[in-house]
Amino acid sequence: MTGTPEIPVIELVQPMPGFPELARFALVRVDDTGALCSLTSLDQPGLRFLVVPPATFFPDYAPEVEDTILTDLGSSSVDDLVMLCVLTAGESLASTTANLAAPVVLDIATHRAVQVVLDDPQLSVTTPLIA
Amino acid sequence: MLVVSRRAGESVVIGDNITVSVLEVRGDVVRIGIDAPRSVAVHREELLAQLAQSNQEAASPPEGAVDSLLKGIRDRSKDA
Repeated sequence: MTGTPEIPVIELVQPMPGFPELARFALVRVDDTGALCSLTSLDQPGLRFLVVPPATFFPDYAPEVEDTILTDLGSSSVDDLVMLCVLTAGESLASTTANLAAPVVLDIATHRAVQVVLDDPQLSVTTPLIA
Repeated sequence: MLVVSRRAGESVVIGDNITVSVLEVRGDVVRIGIDAPRSVAVHREELLAQLAQSNQEAASPPEGAVDSLLKGIRDRSKDA
């Protein structure tokens, strides 16, 4: 449950679809355990995305990350990679969805990240957070 | 836009290292093969549009929604 670090400056190596202008974010804990975090834009005040480590809600979720991603992020080890899923908050936990089709992969050593488009028809951008 | 007619089995080449081949034409479905360097991202257009929309809907949730989500997550970890 613990382990998601706060990172003051993250550089997106490719912009998130829908937000072509934004490259710099901070990873901020929304609660003190890091179960819920936010990617907060450093370029556009007030803009943030809620993210969670998928293991809490989707223990079987372990998509393969291509080698090119590691190159893009300047990663020296897969152990430095953290995966985060973007949440669309509903009125309650039950109506909140997670984007499993495009997780954010973050290298905690290089502080670079990218929203990876998995292109797997089994994965939905609006997967209910709790079944 | 460049428009070319191709038959199944024929290709077009883009730049030095991208080849787009028509593999099969059946009814209104065209199967296309794309040979590109791994550094070139190739995605279905509608998937990218779906992602852009999903990201826009996810952006900057209202504080109330964040609070109830946080409460839900806390209750859930208590149960676990």
